[in-house]
Amino acid sequence: MSYKKNEDLDSGPGGAVMDKMTVFQDCIAGFNASPIQPRKCRVLLTKLTYLLSTGDIFARDESTRLFFSITKLFQHKDIALRQMVYLVIKELARSADDVIMVTSSIMKDTTVGSDVVYRPNAIRTLARIIDASTIQAIERLIKTAIVDKHPVVSSAALISSYHLLPVSREVVRRWTNETQDTVLAQKIFPQAAYGGASGGLGIGPAGPAPSVMTQYHALGLLYQLRSHDRMALIKMIQQLANAGSALKSPAAVVMLIRFVARTIDEDRNMRRPLYSLLEGWLKHKSDMVNFEAAKTILEMRDATDAEVSPAINVLQLFLSSPRFVSRFSAIRILNRFAMIRPQNVNVCNIDIEALINDPNRSIATYAITTLLKTGNEASVDRLMKQITGFMNDISDEFKIIVVDAIRSLCLKFPSKQASMLSFLSGVLRDEGGYEFKRAVVEAMFDLIKFVPDSKEDALAYLCEFIEDCEFTKLAVRILHLLGEEGPSTAHPTKYIRYIYNRVVLENAIVRAAAVTALSKFSLIDDASVEESVKVLLTRCLDDPDDEVRDRAAMALRLSATEKTLAKEYLAPESVPSLVALEQQLILYVTGGPDAAKVAFDISSVPFISKDQADADQFRAKTMATLPILGVSSMESGSVAGSGGVSPSKTPASVGEDFAQKYAAALAKIPEFHPFGAVIRSSRPVPLTESETEYVITGIKHLYNDHLVLQFDVQNTLPDTVLEDVSVIASPNMADDETEPFVEEFIIAIPRLVQESTGTIYVAFSRPCGEENAYTGAVFSNTLRFTSKEIDPTTSEPEEEGYEDEYQVEDIEVGVGDFLVPTYVGNFQHMWDQLSFETSETYSLSGIGSLSEACSSVIESLSMQPLEGSETPLQSATHVLKLFARTLQGGKVVALVRMAYSAKTGVTLKISSRAEDERVAKMVVGGIA
Amino acid sequence: MSQANVTLFTVDAVLILDNDSHRILTKYYQPPHPYPNNLFANQYPTIKEQRAFEKGLFDKTHKQGTDIILFDNHVIVYKEVVDVIIYVVGGINENETMLYQVVLALRDSLEILLKHSLDKRTIIDNYDLVSLAVDETVDDGIILETDPTIISARVSRPPAYDTSVKNLDLSEQGLMNAYQLAKERLAERLKQAL
Repeated sequence: MSYKKNEDLDSGPGGAVMDKMTVFQDCIAGFNASPIQPRKCRVLLTKLTYLLSTGDIFARDESTRLFFSITKLFQHKDIALRQMVYLVIKELARSADDVIMVTSSIMKDTTVGSDVVYRPNAIRTLARIIDASTIQAIERLIKTAIVDKHPVVSSAALISSYHLLPVSREVVRRWTNETQDTVLAQKIFPQAAYGGASGGLGIGPAGPAPSVMTQYHALGLLYQLRSHDRMALIKMIQQLANAGSALKSPAAVVMLIRFVARTIDEDRNMRRPLYSLLEGWLKHKSDMVNFEAAKTILEMRDATDAEVSPAINVLQLFLSSPRFVSRFSAIRILNRFAMIRPQNVNVCNIDIEALINDPNRSIATYAITTLLKTGNEASVDRLMKQITGFMNDISDEFKIIVVDAIRSLCLKFPSKQASMLSFLSGVLRDEGGYEFKRAVVEAMFDLIKFVPDSKEDALAYLCEFIEDCEFTKLAVRILHLLGEEGPSTAHPTKYIRYIYNRVVLENAIVRAAAVTALSKFSLIDDASVEESVKVLLTRCLDDPDDEVRDRAAMALRLSATEKTLAKEYLAPESVPSLVALEQQLILYVTGGPDAAKVAFDISSVPFISKDQADADQFRAKTMATLPILGVSSMESGSVAGSGGVSPSKTPASVGEDFAQKYAAALAKIPEFHPFGAVIRSSRPVPLTESETEYVITGIKHLYNDHLVLQFDVQNTLPDTVLEDVSVIASPNMADDETEPFVEEFIIAIPRLVQESTGTIYVAFSRPCGEENAYTGAVFSNTLRFTSKEIDPTTSEPEEEGYEDEYQVEDIEVGVGDFLVPTYVGNFQHMWDQLSFETSETYSLSGIGSLSEACSSVIESLSMQPLEGSETPLQSATHVLKLFARTLQGGKVVALVRMAYSAKTGVTLKISSRAEDERVAKMVVGGIA
Repeated sequence: MSQANVTLFTVDAVLILDNDSHRILTKYYQPPHPYPNNLFANQYPTIKEQRAFEKGLFDKTHKQGTDIILFDNHVIVYKEVVDVIIYVVGGINENETMLYQVVLALRDSLEILLKHSLDKRTIIDNYDLVSLAVDETVDDGIILETDPTIISARVSRPPAYDTSVKNLDLSEQGLMNAYQLAKERLAERLKQAL
């Protein structure tokens, strides 16, 4: 009886696709035929399954027709056919109408003997077609199935109950007792399972296989039924944990660990007893339990060093596991922990180093980023050597990750720049695509910018690179950089030769860039250099390309004028904010014919000084180095920050966008015009919880002599209109003697309809005069409004409202508002330059670690951390270096020495130097 | 910390693709009865999104053989066998080893069912066995079973014969079959008459 199976399925993927309509017609005909031919029908059902599982969708009426013709097959008792029928019914139940009609047929199948193969299928299918009105009818049936001795039947019933939770939690809750009994029950999967059925499979296991998954399903359901009752939950955890080995399913233990994590999170008192449970699970014989326990311990916010160390030891062992998945899990958990407490992960460094050329790229990437966090200066050289060893064997994409990692290492350990630079120049000579070369060149750019010592060497390498560079874009960028940096080096003439070579040898785009770079050398205060640049530029006047000629002509013309004027054009001190410029230009272009009558007003675009641009960039760069994994769109939510590839999304530029938006909004309000331009806008601070009736955020805008508080009020109520909404903000001065802030006016919201947002401004005059320039205050705020409910019949607000007040959080104007974080290359130099110094010692008992202390100091002072000092490398002591400028442009540096002990918390001594004594005092007093 | 998944919904999708990233079997899971606020809903509702996801995933995993990858905010474990790749897609914070057990269970149960010739041709020829095995492993996102012997024992073989007169043979067994058939027919008729 030779039989070619499923002939028509031959036309699977790639070949002629099975025709949906043909299958549909065949099915309708086949299922309605009499007598029923089980074998043929199963083939037809298989075809249907194939279509449904490869993306074909039947229209609703087609699904319904199919569904009801399939129900005809219930007349035939062949179990092999019946199992397939259930598979298809389960699929079609989503898309067909009136599926409830088959309930009785299916219910009959759920009561057959446990050894009938399709009984669990019937139970699981039942959960799909039942709805809130019929769920009562199956209650007895499910209860019986849950306690059935056959594990698969029991699991099917538990899962069906789980799926029915959204339909009626109340009804499912009545099955709690049965579920409870099943959690610890041992159910054996019978050896001769379905032996007589359909010829058997002949692969019977050697002995009866205990199926433990039932415990997992029961536990998952039990949690849903009890999650509202914390005491019951804790009792359940303790009971199960004490049951020892009775809870056999590793998946169930993983589940239990997650409940433990929740409980610890919500109830601090349970922390101690539950930790010992977690520690015990580290030694469980199943890997998945070990990982879950280790992960949970390392995610506990206040775990002590002694508590985390067993977890880290377990993970360390897994780092050298032969399984990819185990290595992956281990390094991933360690990586996340290293972001918060690198010093604890140090011990694994050797094992992690072995992973940096793991064939699994994700593992290797995690390894490298972890080492970046945990590495110290001494290990850098070894790391570099190791990386060099495998650089040739890996793909470009992965090389980029490595180069990015090196780049952030450079920024972290500037003293190691020499070895890193030689590494970078080495890989620059290697074969590679554009993206890779770009990464290397950018890394060198960063070195030049942020590690001054490396400048000369790096420039030399880059010059060498452009001699033989196939990428126009890169050549242009390097030429630009040479123009920027070259003139200020010790031997500028050296670079002129390289640049001029480009003019002779390259395409028009590169030549134009070279001319611009060349022209910057004419600003050097040396007559002979100036003269030779002029000669070179004159030669460019004969260039075949007009852009090159234009640039050369302009440069020549400028060099004939005053130096200062030429400088303004050739090497401007500040550049327009590109984001703002783009925005303004778009407005201008889309403004219609009227707007086009006047010339574009460049003065409406804010200019950014070089210093500030550098600071923003530096911050963006160091932020970006954290989750380098963003490169392959891998992990976004779990590690802090965004990916390293999209600089437009970095926090620094987001801040700038904010300020931009506010400035534009404020400029539209005539009342603020006399105040002048905004000096600084703070980030929005939430003043209420995000789920209250009125959600309010506050923003501070500083003007020269004024302060404007902006309150964004959101009315979340669906049935209430607010009128005359205003905020009473009253300043409480820190020091009574100073002249207080005086309220000038309030711009209230006349009417705030339901579910909308409005803005209130409160303007104050700032204490003026030199000595009051940095006076801060705390404003206590009360929202005042008239509330009117909406009449549901007319949808109009009622005539009469009532006045109401709503207390919101305070806004503090403090040190942070007067300082702008700024980047500077050399901290020590700056420190030596400034004269006024003050210092103060504080003890912060509420803070649990040095990294927490660092971020809180940085945030409250709003200063730029330098030399990578924002992440403490040791857990006991740390020195934080900070720099900022005042709103007037004055410089201020701060040196924060801190020490941590578990008993006293963080003790810190802050010393600050500034050009102005009051500024230094303000910074020192800013930590409170 | 409370980001850990305390529901039974663990698997977001099971995919079996061939070595050209064409679909052999794809199942994107979501609860059969919707939760409020589209909780746990399928992240790739349209075929277009699903294909884009599969294509991207395939490009990163084909011929890599490194078992696990993070892709598009999912932890994905996979096994490549001859000319097919089996993927199990889970949430970003899911326990990797738990997912890995699922993919191993799928692969091993298919090995048993297809008598150790796990390749595209055999999968398509025995599509009923394969789709039943997947259904016995994962039920709309909930892991049902991870023991390959139990999974394969749960899958029924297709019926050996069709009740058609043509296939009758006259050996003793054949006569017994004929008798059986006649009995069945009669019973069926009687049932219908009732």
